[in-house]
Parts: sequence; structure tokens; C-alpha cells
Amino acid sequence: MSFRLSGPRSSLSAYAAVLIAVSCVATTRSVRAAGAQAGTAAQLEPGRVIYLEYCAQCHGEKGDGEGYAASHLHPRPRNFTTGKFKIRTTPNGALPTHEDLVRIIRRGMPYTSMPAWPDLSDQEVSALANFITTFSPDFSNPENAPKPVPLPSAPRSTKESIDQGKKLYEENGCVKCHGALGRGDGPSAPTLVDDWGNPIRPADLTQRWTFRGGSSREDIFRTMSTGLNGTPMPSFLDALKDEQRWAITDFIDSLSEPSGPGYTNVVITKHVDDPIDLAKGTANFESARVARLPIIGQITEPVREFHPPATSVTVQAIYDAESIALLVRWHDMSAERTGKNGPSLPVPREEEEEGAPAGVQVGKSPFGEEEVAPTGAQQAGKDPFAEEAAAPSGPASEFSDAVAIQIPSQVPTGTRKPYFIFGDAQNPVDLWFFDLARPAPLQFTAKGSADIAPNDTGDVTGVASYEQGEWSVIFKRPLRPASGAPFSPGQFMPVALSVWDGFSRERGNRRGLTVWYSLYAEPENIPSAVGPMVKTALLILAIELAIIGWVRWRYASRGREELGGARLRAGGATAGPP
Amino acid sequence: MKIPIVLAVAVAFGLLRFLRVKLLIWAAAWWIGIYILLRFGFTAPIPSSVITIYMGIVSIAILAYVSSSQERRDEISGPLIRFMTEKRYTLLLAVAVVAIPALAAANVYVRMNVSIEPPLFSRTVHPASPADITVHDKRIDLDAGENPFRHLETSNPQEFRKHVENGRRVYYQNCVFCHGDTMSANGMFVHGLDPIPTNFHDTIAQLRETFLFWRISKGGPGLPDEGGPWDTAMPAWEKFLQEDEMWDAVLFLYDFTGQRPRGREEVATK
Repeated sequence: MSFRLSGPRSSLSAYAAVLIAVSCVATTRSVRAAGAQAGTAAQLEPGRVIYLEYCAQCHGEKGDGEGYAASHLHPRPRNFTTGKFKIRTTPNGALPTHEDLVRIIRRGMPYTSMPAWPDLSDQEVSALANFITTFSPDFSNPENAPKPVPLPSAPRSTKESIDQGKKLYEENGCVKCHGALGRGDGPSAPTLVDDWGNPIRPADLTQRWTFRGGSSREDIFRTMSTGLNGTPMPSFLDALKDEQRWAITDFIDSLSEPSGPGYTNVVITKHVDDPIDLAKGTANFESARVARLPIIGQITEPVREFHPPATSVTVQAIYDAESIALLVRWHDMSAERTGKNGPSLPVPREEEEEGAPAGVQVGKSPFGEEEVAPTGAQQAGKDPFAEEAAAPSGPASEFSDAVAIQIPSQVPTGTRKPYFIFGDAQNPVDLWFFDLARPAPLQFTAKGSADIAPNDTGDVTGVASYEQGEWSVIFKRPLRPASGAPFSPGQFMPVALSVWDGFSRERGNRRGLTVWYSLYAEPENIPSAVGPMVKTALLILAIELAIIGWVRWRYASRGREELGGARLRAGGATAGPP
Repeated sequence: MKIPIVLAVAVAFGLLRFLRVKLLIWAAAWWIGIYILLRFGFTAPIPSSVITIYMGIVSIAILAYVSSSQERRDEISGPLIRFMTEKRYTLLLAVAVVAIPALAAANVYVRMNVSIEPPLFSRTVHPASPADITVHDKRIDLDAGENPFRHLETSNPQEFRKHVENGRRVYYQNCVFCHGDTMSANGMFVHGLDPIPTNFHDTIAQLRETFLFWRISKGGPGLPDEGGPWDTAMPAWEKFLQEDEMWDAVLFLYDFTGQRPRGREEVATK
């Protein structure tokens, strides 16, 4: 992870370093004192140099968020000329402090195209934070000097605080966007847009590793206290007391493990004694281990998808005497059960350039007028309580949600696998494709993205359900079908998945996918370790006793003083016969 | 080498020397010291099978040394025999007799419960390129060819900067998602990729510009089998980009990382 300023820019960076050394203390002090940007062009020069090198490609040379990459990015890069910054310690609508800007540059925003910048020096980040403030005239007005809100330190999270937080979460309208279980599936979720009219999705509170402002309890508390400027996320600073905001923080904290997503590369298929019964649904899978696999955009074949809404899927797998079954789950803010989808539906090339997925652009506030809860909630820009929230009318969608499991058509011999995106001409793959507008899955055989043909043998059956922001889709197939690769206990089978979100008009190549992972069928009877352990221990014990017995027999008769002496008689060595 | 570990082992040996310990302790110390050096002393981890072979050699060497004269044999066997025969050691002996099989059994348990790892495919990262390729119906000679815009660097620096800037545009519109903003293979999709993308800081100085052009234009599917073309997410960029755009992107990669491409002469002399 080397990161060097070198080569043609070394003179520039040397210049920058000198400037920083000379002016750093004076610059940052005076800027902070003014609460907004200040400083001469020469003082800002180091930040400008770094900005043009590392930031302008997305945020634009003018700071307007229209850099080269912007059309492929979602969320869009920040437009610095508006003075609206999401992650702050200052009140809603206010400018961020210098430290706020430094922090977000250092840490980046997870699961967006804003990376962390751990390799820049403190001076460089500070210079950059100063320079960014020059894009908006708001920073030069002394009246706008940012004043951080009080963010008291965290009380201990308890069962009571989590329960209280859950109650407050429901009472204060959080459910409207983030959903009853926090999966980002509230009724208003599909209607949300940011201040610039781009569709925006509420955070999935059950996946803290995706939180833009960071995943610690302090981060969650800060976001709830100060809101996210430019987005529908309001500030609850005045609506809720500190303890209440901490209680909601504790509730959100309890929704996912602090350790992160725990991505894996193998799905372990567990043997079950009872026959797999699709009518029993997810209850079949209680004994199976959950494997979480990361979803990435399909950015290899035209037409590309740069920001699939699903960032991960979980997979569980079981097999009985005849069949194998997989349960795939992922979070989706709305179920699209109308329209159509397919692995080879064509997509016009222009859709790649839109950046933000085209959704239903209603643009209403998540909070209805009559709602009592966020009375003090302030929102920058538009009035959040102006209009009644759109009811989840469930308009007919053009494209439905869909999911596909991909396995090689033949068990690979050796290391050669089919191409991970729908196979290749010599190495086809089977797709178990479930268009969730239909009652059952279909089978396709694919020899690459351009050569996909239906091949429905009727072997693959399945059921799908959508509940509280989560799709649960079960596929079932015979272990050894008439055509298709058989599953055998103790073997690894390559497996890959694709997920389509109909709401974001994903279909065909526009989708989220995984690379190849492994499906391992765990043998029904795992050999117990006890037998070999006892055998090993007894063998070693026997050898030990034999040696000790021999030594005692050989030397016990000799005088102790002789043994205690420095020398032993010839033949006393441990190795070799006496 | 990890200097603190090497120093710690050296200090331990010095201490043993200072204490004038017995030969048996020395034999054990050598065995343990070399094991620690092999296992923890190197920056790149050594495969455990190799360590096993080395430690086998070390064991034989120590055995040969301690049994090379009567005096040494006695010095080694004396304490062992006393330990096994004298009454005051009986309790310790009993503990050892139980503990050693128990440890061996624990080892068997650990070995039988290793987590399930999918079969590993060791791919060749930079396999040899073909002599020529065809991109957009045009034959590109990878052996004798050059970046058609490289000569501008000296003949027309202003025009050269334009090409680099165009390469920058191409990079940040297409490549940044995997290779990352700083070209350190830290793009936003890296956590979902295997193999991970190339880190340009580490690699491109050893490669020719035509090699990069081959990798960019033909992508993962253009790799020979030893490169694992089925696993890598590198697109065949000829599907998205013009030839000039790919050459410009190559210029930008070298410009941003401050590296120089490997010249043709070097290849010829190899």
C-alpha cells in the first residue's frame, strides 16, 4: 500500500512541504479562529496542489462535484460550492468545523467512492481541509463560524437502554425511512431524494459497516444529533434529550455486530436427516451456518452497474438424501413483484452514464404533517413537514427483483473453471434464475454474457418471500440431476450469485454479483477426533514407558554416585544399543 | 528479516553462554532458537512444510553433534538418566509421562479441526504476453511495439501532458473502482474481488508499456490458463475504450506513480 509523491511532482511536493512548514501553524490557527476559510493564495497553495492531484477527478477542479468520474458515481461526489457537508459535529444546516473535514478525509465514507486517505500527512490533510472551504462563500462569512454541538460521552449500553431506544425509534418516525427492523425499508424509503434531486437511500441500520459517518456508537450518536446536511436525515438535537439519543444509539448498536460483515469465501452445506420440505421455508435451514458474501457491481461486461444497491448476500445451504437446497437472503428497500427480469435482457448504453439509479422520484419528506415525533427536528434546505408522505402505493414496476445462483454445468476437473461472469464458450454454467415476479425459478445455460439460453429441465424448484425489507429465496435441486453437475459430500463446487434490484432498473448485465466462491458439502458423518487422539496418546505413552523401563532396568542397579558423576560408563548414551 | 526477533534470539544465546549452561540445555536452545528464527524471524512467512524439513535437518545436526564424542554423549544422557531413575524426580517424571501424550492428542485434535478452505489456485501474476494482438481490427506488435505517444514526452511536452490528462480521465471513469484513487489496489470493490487488482506502485516499473496495453485491452479473459482467466474481474477494455484511450491510460499510470516503463533494450539483453 505504498503511496508516493514522486517523479514529475517531486518538485511540487517539495514546494508544498516548504510552504506547509513555513505557514502551517499560522494558517490553521488563523483559519480556525475566523471559523471559516481565510489565508492568502500562498497559504492555500499546498492544499490546492493536493486537491488537484487527488480530489479533482471526482469533486471537480472547481469543487462543484463534476469531476471526470462523477457520472459513474452514486452517491455523487460532494459539491463543495454549496457548503453542505454530511458528517459534522455542528448543528443541522451549519458548516463543518476544520476537524470535521479532517476526520472525513482521513476516514473516507465506507461503501461509497470516497476512500480513506491514511497515507497523507497531518499537514497535508489539514491543508486540504482549508482549501476545500474556499469553494463556498459561506465559509468567509464570520457569522457562519461553526460551533460544535455538545456531544456528551457515551453512557454504558444496557438491556434497558436498548429497549427504550427501540421504543423511541418507533415513536420518532425513524421507522418511516429505516424500517421497523432497521433494514432501510421504511414506506418512505423509495421516495427519498437529496437536496439536488438525486434518489438517496436510508441507511440499512443492520449493517453498520456501511454507515457513511462511521460505525462506532459515538459516530451513530453524532449523526443522529446533527443530521446529514443535504439529505432527508434530520437532526434530533432539539427533539430528543441526550439520554434519548443515546438510547436510540444503543438500539442501533444492538442491530449488528461491531466486528463487521464477516465476509467468507466458502458456503458449508450441512447434511439434514429430515427431508427438505419447501413448504417449511426458512425453518429448513436452522442448522446451517450463515455465509455472508460481498456483492460488487458488474463492471466488466457492457452495460455496467457501478453501484448495486445490495452490498452483500447471506447464503445457507443444506442437503438431504436426494436434494440440495440454498437459502439466499438480502436486504432490499422495496419488493418489485411486477414486470419482468432476465439474465440477458438488453440495457441501453446510456443508462451507464446516469450515475444515480433512476427510481421513482417523488421527492417528499419522510415525515408527515400530523406526525408529532420530530417536532424539533430541523432540516436544512426544504421544509421537511410540508407535504404528506407518500403512501407505499406499490406502483407497478417495469422490472422485477431477481436472483441467480451460478454453478458450472460440469464439475470442474483440475483448476479450470468457467468464466465467473456467466461462463464461457468452452465452459458453460447453469443459472438457477428466480424472477421474483414469477412463482418459481427457471434454469438457463450460459456460455458467456452474450450467449444465454433457457434450459429448463424442471429440476430446480424454489420459493421466495419478502418480509420487512428482506428477500428470502430458497432454491432446491436434486443432488444428482439427469443433466447438470452433481453435488458430492466432501467436494468443493464453485458457486457465484447475481442479484437484480428492479427498483433501480437492474436487469441483464446491470446487476450486482459475486466472484466465484465455494460450496462445500460437509460429509454426513464427520469422523470423530476422539479415536485418533486416544490412539496417538496411547502409542506415545507406550514408547515413554518402554524407554523409562529400559533406563531403570539398565541403570537402577548401578550406584547413585556413579550416575550423579560427570561421566557415565561406556554405552550409556540414549541413542544406539548398549 | 524482523530485526527485534533476531536480536532477541541472539541475546538469549549470549545469556546462555554467560551462564555456562549444560550441553543438554544448549541442544534444546539451538533447536528452539532456530525454530523461532524460521517461524517468526522472516518478513515473508515460510511454508510450514519447509520449516518441517529445516527442523528435521537441525535435529539430525544436533544429534550428530551431541553423539560425536563419548564426553558429549555422557553429558547429554547423564541428566536424562538421573531424571528417569532418581526418586526426587518421580513426581515430575509422572507429570511428563502424562503431559507428552496429552499434548500429542491435542495436536491431533487441532489438525482434525482446521477450518474448511477451498482448494487454492496459485496463478501466475504476470504471464508471458503473446507476440502480437489484434485490437479493433489493428495488429499491435507487443515485442517490438512502443507506446505511440511516449515520444511526445521529449518532442512535444505540451501535447504529452494532454495525453496524460486524457489518461487520467479514462482512469477515474473506469479503473478507480478496483485499482483505487491512489493506484494502490484499494478501490471500493476490492473486498469482493479475488484475485485482488494490481497495485501499480509495485509492479509497473518491471513491465513494458506494450505489456500493460495487452493486459488492459484483453483483460482477464485474454490471460493464458496459468493466469486464471476465469477468476479475474479485469474487463477486456477494448469493449469500452478506443485504442488511443488505452495508450493514454498507460501514460497516466506511469506519470501518477512516478515510475518509468521498462525499455525494450533490457528485454533484448535478457
